[in-house]
Amino acid sequence: MRHLSRRLLLKHAARFAAGVTVFAATPACAFNPLPAMPTRSMPEAEARIAWLRLLPDGRVRLLLPRQEMGQGVSVALRQIVAEELDWDIERVEAVLPDTASIAPVKSTVGSDSLKDFAEPVARSAALLREHLHRGGDSAEIVDRGQPVSLRSFRPDGMRRHVGFGMPTEQIVSIVTGAPLYAGDIRLPGMLFGMVLPAGASISVPGDDVKLVTLSDGCGGLLSAHPAALHAAATRVKRDQAPRPMPAVDIDITQQRGDLEHSLRGDAVNADAPWTLDRRYDIPFAAHAAIEPRSAVAQWHGREAAMRLEVWTGTQDAFFVRETLARHFGLSTGKVLVHGCRIGGGFGARTIVRQELEAALLAEAAGQPVKVQWSRAAEFIDGFHRPPSSHRIRARLDADGRIADWRHGFCSGHVIFTSAAMPRWMQMATSLVKDPGVARGAVPPYVAARMRVGFSDIRLPVDTGPWRGLGAGPNGFAIESAMDELAALAGQDPLQFRLANLNPQHERLKACLERVADLAGWAAGPRSGRGFGRGLACGIYKENSYAAVVADVSVAADGAVRVAHLYCAQDSGLVVNPDQVRAQIEGNLVWGIGMVLNEKLPIEDGRVAAYSFADYAIPTMDAMPAIDIALIEPEGAPPSGAGETAMVAVAAVANAIAAATGRRVTTLPYRPQAPA
Amino acid sequence: MQLSVNGRSVAIPDARAGDPLLWVLREELGLVGTKFGCGQGLCGACTIHVGDAAVRSCQIAAADAAGQAIVTIEGLAQADGTLHPVQQAWIEESVPQCGYCQAGQIMSAAALLQAAPHPDDAAIDAAMAGNLCRCGTYARIRKAIRRAGTRMEQKP
Repeated sequence: MRHLSRRLLLKHAARFAAGVTVFAATPACAFNPLPAMPTRSMPEAEARIAWLRLLPDGRVRLLLPRQEMGQGVSVALRQIVAEELDWDIERVEAVLPDTASIAPVKSTVGSDSLKDFAEPVARSAALLREHLHRGGDSAEIVDRGQPVSLRSFRPDGMRRHVGFGMPTEQIVSIVTGAPLYAGDIRLPGMLFGMVLPAGASISVPGDDVKLVTLSDGCGGLLSAHPAALHAAATRVKRDQAPRPMPAVDIDITQQRGDLEHSLRGDAVNADAPWTLDRRYDIPFAAHAAIEPRSAVAQWHGREAAMRLEVWTGTQDAFFVRETLARHFGLSTGKVLVHGCRIGGGFGARTIVRQELEAALLAEAAGQPVKVQWSRAAEFIDGFHRPPSSHRIRARLDADGRIADWRHGFCSGHVIFTSAAMPRWMQMATSLVKDPGVARGAVPPYVAARMRVGFSDIRLPVDTGPWRGLGAGPNGFAIESAMDELAALAGQDPLQFRLANLNPQHERLKACLERVADLAGWAAGPRSGRGFGRGLACGIYKENSYAAVVADVSVAADGAVRVAHLYCAQDSGLVVNPDQVRAQIEGNLVWGIGMVLNEKLPIEDGRVAAYSFADYAIPTMDAMPAIDIALIEPEGAPPSGAGETAMVAVAAVANAIAAATGRRVTTLPYRPQAPA
Repeated sequence: MQLSVNGRSVAIPDARAGDPLLWVLREELGLVGTKFGCGQGLCGACTIHVGDAAVRSCQIAAADAAGQAIVTIEGLAQADGTLHPVQQAWIEESVPQCGYCQAGQIMSAAALLQAAPHPDDAAIDAAMAGNLCRCGTYARIRKAIRRAGTRMEQKP
């Protein structure tokens, strides 16, 4: 193995801390010393202009610089183009391009798409508009940084597309069952395949199933018939040898010494009694997207002319291209990736797995191959939200202000995920704060002395980014603690938060006040026997704000029903309110799931979930009434809408506490009959 | 072996008769609208109609559907392209996010409304609780079902 200096290791690690999500490793049976690095930067102006193509029929095609996974980015960017051109929306079409058609763009993650791409797309369209007004009839537009007025961000009332609701792109295809997803691709001579995970074996592949050895040494299964292949998948025996599972236990971790990473380092007064001293424990959680990851790979040509073509549901098509090119020793120009609409991303589709598997199987077969992971494989071989364990100690002064706030926690990794990092790099990253674990850990409140720190724990089960990253778990701990502190101070939960809010967070204050108004907080139902109301709020990545009120009813046996959720969210300028509301609805459902349903079972250091019977997610019958208010401060640019309202997790937990008199400190909540 | 799919008689190789109907529809017949979500009968993404009933196509062998009218999402609209009231309502209520579970949701909803155009909340819950949606579109699904039901009752 090539000797890699510590400096190089840290440099690689630091590049990831600077806002990149994950990067590819190779499957366990192959070795590549330096993995592919995902794109980080915005393409040059010339490349941004090239996102727009004039069509012969007078329409314009937007080659989307973002992947679509239901977050509505396609329609929103299309609206921006139509707004800039001042055309009817039907004259603008949005397509997901392949990797040859646009310059590399970064992964579609972090709820950053509108924040980072709204203005560049608007500017490119505005330059096209100016070009057309001057009578330009070719595609030769140059962005020299010249001033150009943008219509998309003008005050309300002057726009006709931006600020209006529209359904997601491709809605007609969705409701009529037209092909959309990678698994819908069908090619002549296509086979169906799966790669056997490291340590797995199959004794009887089946009549129509062939066992093959792939060029990286892994075993694979191929069949001309998907039923036979999927049946064979159920007969695969995975390595079940127990793996040691370190405790994710903040008290054990803190007994061993100082936490590794400090986010706030004030010396808190540890001598006087704490007002609150609470532990919170949050389990592993799965992404559980309804589309199991799928890819189709096809090799073309021979030897020097050999090319690889792949269709996949991925959040980062260029990262897939880079990884495959490296693995097979091809130039990136010889690898063409079609990023298809994803049937649920949520952070799971940020690594390269099924694409590489399909390419290896197609190489072995000499024919195109479709890979669709089984549901069991999604649980067992995927990566998951790590568990975390928190202890919050806080002390109030006589006025109910936070004097000391001490939050220590430990968690598995998020950004520095073992699902994507070779082992040697994992060790280097222990020296660097995992920004995903840290997300949302610094509360929006003022404390005279604040100490926030964490340690991360390398776990045998792969962990990584899950919707909201650390914001859900950290928000749960923080907002549960704040709620209990309010009660201990004898104060209303809303007033307590407002009194302790960092005054710089005007926008969060506005969300709290708006949701209180929406829910009728001041005059509304009080918590009583079998009924509870809870509040929570939070800021996502310093640019997006939400406050949630939850009403729950608790039955005699302790079973909880969420009756109503109210949410006020400020994610800046809203390009498509319908899609932003949909994202909020999704987050609210995820918040319900975090409290009432979700816990990934782990046994002997391995995932022990094989179907949705083993991992519950919210269903139709658990849905509450929902009211949403969007706040758009004048002049605020668009910020992230896809992960902010996850604070609902704490609103629901706080509502349960109000109803039952018992704090929810371990997720998921398990019903207990009243004492 | 012959199957009736979306009003047409189609020939399926006998060797495929024992395969789950889901795969026969998707890969033999190219009707990819019916989705593979789990293959274990637990997510509802593969829901189709066999006769009047909503059925999970991953749980029924192709041969077991012989002699009955199979309707998939591709066959819900009329021949001239007029959308089924449920599909129309889905668009009007802007239901889908990622869209992957939606064909199954629509098929379950259409079967429900065929039996009863004004289901109450409990009936909607009972009929739809088995169709998982990770994006959380449930509230809009409910609204779309109500909207479609009203429309279906208006048109005999």
